[in-house]
Amino acid sequence: MTSIETSRAAYLHVPFCVHRCGYCNFALVAGRGDLVPTYLEAIEKELSRQLGEPREIDTLYFGGGTPTQLGAIDFAKLARLTRHWHPLAEGYEWTVEANPADMTVEMAQAMADAGVNRLSLGAQSFRAEKLKVLERDHDDGQIVRSVELARRHGMEVAIDLIFASPGETLAEWQADLDRAVALLPEHISVYGLTYEKGTAFWTRRKRGDLVEADEELQRAMYELAIERLTEAGFEHYEVSNFAIPGHRSRHNETYWRGDEYFAAGPGAARYVDGVRETNHRSTTTYLRRVLAGESPVAEREELDNEAKARERLIFALRRLEGVDRREFLAATSFAIDQLAHDAIEKFARYGMLADDGQRVKLTREGLLVSDAIWPELL
Amino acid sequence: MLPKYIRNFSIIAHIDHGKSTLADRLLEITGTITKREMKEQILDDMDLERQRGITIKARAVSMRTKVDGQEYEINLIDTPGHVDFQYEVSRSLACCEGAVLLVDAFQGVEAQTVANAYAAMEHELTIVPVMNKVDLVHARPDEVKEEMEQTLSIDPDEVLGCSAKTGVGCKEVIDAVIARVPAPAGDPKATFQAMVFDSHYDEFRGAITYVRIMNGTVKKGQKIKFLQAGTTHDVVELGRFTPKREAAKQLSAGQVGYLICNIKSLGQVHIGDTVSVAIGEPAEMLAGYEEPKRMVFCGLYPSDGQDFEQLREALAKLQVNDPSFDFEPETSDALGFGFRCGFLGLLHMEIIQQRLEQEADIDLVQTAPNVTYEVTTKSGEEIEVHTPQKIPDQGDIEEFRQPIVRVSFVLPTDYIGGVMKLCADRRGEYVRTEYLSPTRAMLVYDLALADVVYDMHDRLKSITRGYGTMDYELLGYQPAELVRLDILVKNERVDALSIVCDRRDSEIRGRAVIKKLKKEIPRHMFEVALQAAIGTRVIARETISAMRKNVTAKCYGGDISRKRKLWDKQKEGKKRMKSIGQVDIPQKAFLAVLETGEEEGKGGVKQRG
Repeated sequence: MTSIETSRAAYLHVPFCVHRCGYCNFALVAGRGDLVPTYLEAIEKELSRQLGEPREIDTLYFGGGTPTQLGAIDFAKLARLTRHWHPLAEGYEWTVEANPADMTVEMAQAMADAGVNRLSLGAQSFRAEKLKVLERDHDDGQIVRSVELARRHGMEVAIDLIFASPGETLAEWQADLDRAVALLPEHISVYGLTYEKGTAFWTRRKRGDLVEADEELQRAMYELAIERLTEAGFEHYEVSNFAIPGHRSRHNETYWRGDEYFAAGPGAARYVDGVRETNHRSTTTYLRRVLAGESPVAEREELDNEAKARERLIFALRRLEGVDRREFLAATSFAIDQLAHDAIEKFARYGMLADDGQRVKLTREGLLVSDAIWPELL
Repeated sequence: MLPKYIRNFSIIAHIDHGKSTLADRLLEITGTITKREMKEQILDDMDLERQRGITIKARAVSMRTKVDGQEYEINLIDTPGHVDFQYEVSRSLACCEGAVLLVDAFQGVEAQTVANAYAAMEHELTIVPVMNKVDLVHARPDEVKEEMEQTLSIDPDEVLGCSAKTGVGCKEVIDAVIARVPAPAGDPKATFQAMVFDSHYDEFRGAITYVRIMNGTVKKGQKIKFLQAGTTHDVVELGRFTPKREAAKQLSAGQVGYLICNIKSLGQVHIGDTVSVAIGEPAEMLAGYEEPKRMVFCGLYPSDGQDFEQLREALAKLQVNDPSFDFEPETSDALGFGFRCGFLGLLHMEIIQQRLEQEADIDLVQTAPNVTYEVTTKSGEEIEVHTPQKIPDQGDIEEFRQPIVRVSFVLPTDYIGGVMKLCADRRGEYVRTEYLSPTRAMLVYDLALADVVYDMHDRLKSITRGYGTMDYELLGYQPAELVRLDILVKNERVDALSIVCDRRDSEIRGRAVIKKLKKEIPRHMFEVALQAAIGTRVIARETISAMRKNVTAKCYGGDISRKRKLWDKQKEGKKRMKSIGQVDIPQKAFLAVLETGEEEGKGGVKQRG
């Protein structure tokens, strides 16, 4: 696990957006399409400096920002240079995040031509009013058309939904879930709306201008999602992620297994040779540094083996299948009980963890309050 | 220096009336220290004092000045101004023949002006009355003189005016000290006899003993004896404070200075001890000082149990320089091993805590302050209790007594009604009202010390918009309808949260405490019941509902480090909490018992933690 050869996944961050949505705190630039040529140049430079030589991978993920903001031509350029540095192994998974409003025939064609086989749609909702509150620029028709385009071009479809938006009712949320299921995607992610520091929503909530959904409702919405999606044949495999069996996000599972991955672009985080690095979040700073031949890395940390094992334990427990004692020991050379015997025993007693002696996993109740468990496992 | 050319005096004043500034000016005028060397408030050499602008420890400085060609030695012995430090005030006053009574020409006579002036009078000191800040636009010198006459029988014609800030009138203060304060009475030829009035520890020289020579002469190299301690030492060095230590060949009757005797521990130097000759018949032992009365107690616990020994050392170190503070080990189910500490008052308590945190770098959990109670049990046993949790069960108590203090409030007459209401609410007993002037009055009430300690000072400041001041003296113990109020968290009594209060206040207090606890204790995975109870009778309850949803939705490549750091931080925070049963209680919650159930008037000490 410690050699650069073992990283079999790569993430590429595309920071462009038309507009920054009120809840978003991702690394992005809004309305700066003029920076795209410079960005392509910087990515090329970063990849070549970082990798030295092409590195074959199994999963590739273009996230954002909005990768589809590049438009078909620049997207093709980015795809080409990325594939040069990261040749894709047989049976690869290549996901691209897409804004439904950007999904044109040309875009879908460009993706298919490049070899993209999985489209992750930032649908968030099908309801106009909710989309407006969330400051999204698409409508339900565009979501439906995006799914059709993806199908026509041989791509699997993943749909992202947000729940607990201001004023949303349980019935409205159910309608969103039902419409998503009806489109027959392979994958659905559901995210409770969070109010992050530094976002407009944070300030507006503080001002009393936005009212956060009450905790009971949030809980009910989350439980409803679990219920509906599992009924519809989806497997709930991670806190927020549901997949038709055989269609999990292989790329994201890399993160949760504690495996290593490459990354490039502003704000992108990589884990290579046991070192976690995060690039500078500001797109302009990132571009300036890379083009000046400087490192774009803003943060760097190297964990000792025990810290790595603990981190892995937590992220693995966020997967609903839990952690197998033997597998964990083999992967980390730490026994789970050596790391967290007392905490596991305690939370099992509280009914938050299920422990059959071999495998430890979250119970439903534990899942709902799991953030209160993690500090005690560190 | 012949005694007749020596003057020893203190400056006594209410806090903020300009004592330290005046001291600075006197040092400058006498050329003891140049303006260039002058640091603001030179006598307050502890950081904490400078921060708070108050003088805590007595300090001494020796000045020389010429009047009509004759050189005089003037020794200024600094005193603390706050009521809590009455003990140190009397220590200083015992070494003086006179006192400059400094009153702010705008603020006028305040509670501590009165208390300190009385203390000086009790020591039969000559009072030199001085009004400070006469240059202020709002100064009201005539009324203030009238107040001084009314309260302290001071002849208005004797009152000097000065501005310590600008130096105007300060030379006249020195002249008046020389003219009015009597010379010390001692005989330089008699057997050596000196009073130890302070000490501090110097890393290189060992104990520095502060003395006032009452009789005789002491020389370098002489063998001396501490009469009370019974130890003998050689005088390695002696001298005066100018204000730095300045070695001299000898000190004689009337002078104030220091002795260095190669003493390795301050524990060997007792404040109030008499120093005399080691060879031959020693002089008579001087009347020492009254033991300081510890009025306020609280528990101090290290946040991290590992720091217990370190805390003990730090407390011992502080006690060396401040014998008025006392501590003994105690154990709490909730907080583990710690110390029960006794203080002269609330300010004293705050200062010791701050000093501990600054100087020893120990994270502390403090329990709410309480006073000493006396209990007669049904079996006839008499006990004195410093800790609420040690109060016997209600059924075993025959009589429960609490300390009562006589409180003097000095305030503008406009606020008399408000303060009277406050005292009535606290079941105070009215003693008298004295008018200091048409606009200012002194109001005297007998109140339970517990109520005074609790929040009286803050309430007074709030009612009088900062213009009211107070001072108190202990009257004695009186039986009262007191109860021990216990707090239960998830059905377990948290010993460190028990308080004693009047039965009639118990419901309000109980409700306020658990309401506050509800705010301070984070939600758990399970429901947490909070109860306030007297014995087995629950008088108030609240429930902290269980956490319902607490789960991070997004956790991808870029989130992992951030999340781990966040959870790491939460883990650290959790470590600093105390676990009672399964419930984690933050340290701040242990001060919840200070909640009054009233809207205003929250104790300043509560902000800690």
